Amino acid sequence: MAKKRRQEILLGNEALARGLVECGVQVMTAYPGTPSSEILPAVVRFGKERKNPPYSEWSVNEKVAVEVALSAAYTGKRVAVAMKQVGLNVALDPVMSAAYIGVTGGMIMVSADDPGPHSSQTEQDSRLLAHFAKLPVFDPDSPAQVRDLVAPAFALSERFGIPVMIRPTLRVCHGRQSLYLRQPKEVERPAKFVKDPFRWAAIPKMRLALHQALNAKLAEIADFVSQSKSLNTWHAPPRKGARLGILASGVAAALARDVLAELGLDVAGGKVPFLQTSVPYPLPAGAVNELLSSCSRVLVIEETEPVLELLAPQRDKLWGRYSGHVPSAGELTPDVLGQVLEGALKQARVKTPRPRGKVLAVPDQAPLRRPNLCPGCSHRAAFFAMRRALPKGVYPSDIGCYTLGLNQGAVDTCHDMGAAVTFASSLSRSFMNDGQDTPVVATIGDSTFYHSGTTGLINAVYNGARFVLVILDNETTSMTGMQPTPETGLTADGHPGRKVDLIKLVGGCGVNWIEEVDPYDLGLMQKTLKKAWRHAKSKKGSVAVIIARHACAAQRPQDSMPVMIPVQVRGPAPPALARFDAKANPCADCGRCLAICPAGALRRVRKGSIKVDPAKCTGCRLCAEVCPTGTMVLAASGACTACGLCTTWFACPALKPDAQGYIDIDRTWCVDCGMCLEVCAQGAIVRKGAKS
Amino acid sequence: MSALNWQAVVAGVGGQGVLFVTRALATAARKKASRILISEVHGMAQRGGAVVSHLKVGGYSGPLVAAGRAELVFSLDPGEAVRNMAFLAPGGTLVVNAPDLDFLTPQAREALAEHQVRAVCADAGGLASGAGAPKGANVVLLGAAAAAGALPLATSDLKDALLLGQPAGRKKMNRKLFTLGQGAV
Repeated sequence: MAKKRRQEILLGNEALARGLVECGVQVMTAYPGTPSSEILPAVVRFGKERKNPPYSEWSVNEKVAVEVALSAAYTGKRVAVAMKQVGLNVALDPVMSAAYIGVTGGMIMVSADDPGPHSSQTEQDSRLLAHFAKLPVFDPDSPAQVRDLVAPAFALSERFGIPVMIRPTLRVCHGRQSLYLRQPKEVERPAKFVKDPFRWAAIPKMRLALHQALNAKLAEIADFVSQSKSLNTWHAPPRKGARLGILASGVAAALARDVLAELGLDVAGGKVPFLQTSVPYPLPAGAVNELLSSCSRVLVIEETEPVLELLAPQRDKLWGRYSGHVPSAGELTPDVLGQVLEGALKQARVKTPRPRGKVLAVPDQAPLRRPNLCPGCSHRAAFFAMRRALPKGVYPSDIGCYTLGLNQGAVDTCHDMGAAVTFASSLSRSFMNDGQDTPVVATIGDSTFYHSGTTGLINAVYNGARFVLVILDNETTSMTGMQPTPETGLTADGHPGRKVDLIKLVGGCGVNWIEEVDPYDLGLMQKTLKKAWRHAKSKKGSVAVIIARHACAAQRPQDSMPVMIPVQVRGPAPPALARFDAKANPCADCGRCLAICPAGALRRVRKGSIKVDPAKCTGCRLCAEVCPTGTMVLAASGACTACGLCTTWFACPALKPDAQGYIDIDRTWCVDCGMCLEVCAQGAIVRKGAKS
Repeated sequence: MSALNWQAVVAGVGGQGVLFVTRALATAARKKASRILISEVHGMAQRGGAVVSHLKVGGYSGPLVAAGRAELVFSLDPGEAVRNMAFLAPGGTLVVNAPDLDFLTPQAREALAEHQVRAVCADAGGLASGAGAPKGANVVLLGAAAAAGALPLATSDLKDALLLGQPAGRKKMNRKLFTLGQGAV
């Protein structure tokens, strides 16, 4: 029965998923993270073409995802797990033992790297961790190749009983390529767990034996990979006496071929021997040796760390990162590769028929566009309320959309998943032990809290830490594409799941002060923050948790903004400065104005006397608003005075300052959420059509 | 199949439909070449407003376009046209959502002329808004690019690609917007 071949232009992550489904993957787990997030949903989608679709789950974190997949592979199943490179760090504990103990089924671990980095904290190279964990690793160069490498990766895994890593980089994951789809294979392997405690539950003494066996296995794999024609491609064959050869892997190898072609060195023409390996570890020593023996010098092109360069023999012949020929940080873009290749070819005295392309240079500057929260995002309201209610606070935060609270000065640290909670517990203790009244307000998203927040929270409660934790709960994993969280009970492939209640979870961690607030209510959010901090810092205080719950404006705009509230900005009005007038109303020396001034324009001269620095005062009126005695004086103008408060503390893309700093609503961004109505202390932002 | 080798950069800001344009160009190019590579922007980078994607049709291996190599820079935003201008090959075409090149300094216009760049300008945003579809500037600009001969693709293939998988209402609107763009140059 001849079927028409189906061609599609697939995203790299979809191509990888296609490969997994075509190879009959039975269990698929993942935790979302750019650039890996689209793999699992595509497995679910393609899996429906099979009679027996794979079991797929969004796991709570990467460690869990690896353990769920790994133990399924103990029963003989074909399994896969996907994560981003920093997720591999979270999963490293089970990953380190995985090679020793091995699998009876087939297992692929996908760790997607992010040279650049574009959406990550580090540029780390998962291939190095594969080497560290003694797992074979595949390094695909394109969407089509990553699909095609799934079958040999499973074959290798099952032949040698070892998990295999596939390490795509962002340009593979988020590349798109036309490819022909193959019929998905049905793999029927009933779960079979053969008891073998000396393996599955090996004590340290047995681990030594397993390690020795693993080393022997890796030597065999190295031989196998070395002899494979399909895993090692000679784009130009080895040639005795060549002045320069190239050893490459991954997407940088593909781009290097394009750059060479543009320099007029047709790769297939064979002037520069070019070996690309799909398996950097274990190193295909045979082919690499052949290349090195035939060339005076070999340039190593790979991302992001020197792995081939580290493993290859004849190090004195290699040009790469150790020799300074390849930059040690950043993505190997065509332009960087152009410089690297041109430099190396010149140094090796290989003539290039064509120079690099002439590049157009213009003096014009492109507009600065920094990443920002979406208009209508409730995180913006929560951050504004934090700055307004506890302006002298220190604000540890975490990984997710809300890291962009940076734009509002409401994010002071961002380290790794869950660190907001642990950092806050330690920072607040440091301040308190030294008798400092510094509010510590941590923010963490709901998905990140489920991922890694609870352990830190249990630790904080147990050890008596006192700080405010705001869980920014938009009921989804928004940054990575709206994957469901345990709070929703929705599962990746629709298998029955159960909701894990956030408030009960927080209570279960031992927290006895929990309040739920909709941050769109800016006034209530501020009050709750103040109340929470009063509780936390009191003698019998503890961790105070605010659940700031509001639907994600990007995922569920109709729930997030059920009522449209169009606004307008009145103005402009001439700027005016705050005045300290203790004659009519004596100063109570409460320090509130000093704490809130965003410009640092106020100075306490002596008890009951404040000096306003006219050079620094922006006239935002916050001091006048918080002053309980009416000593700080500045009347609300009811019109924009270009004070800049909304742009610095609220940072909405729809509030656009002109050259003088006067604000207007940019209607291409404004979503009529109405949140900014309570932001301006001048009363300049009003409902559209409101009379003055 | 005539073997087409073509490199293009599509730029704009979030929400303008940069990825839609890139995929439509790629789909339309499928009849001209068997190998198509695209590079897209997702995740944190997407939140920044600036969105760019690279398209390579024909005998290429990697998904990124090098500076000075794009036959086409197609920008839905004048500012993003500035940001991505360096991709233009000598003699390449700049298609931009702007009534003219007045958003550039005279020096920049001079540099474009020296690089022998052909500029195709159309107020696609204005035309789309006028048609009641402010988010349809991308389709209008595609129509303008096609009518100006800036694309090595059959106009019928491009139209088919714009309608592929769209609901009936969108199909009708996309046809209208494309025609509107064709008339704009």
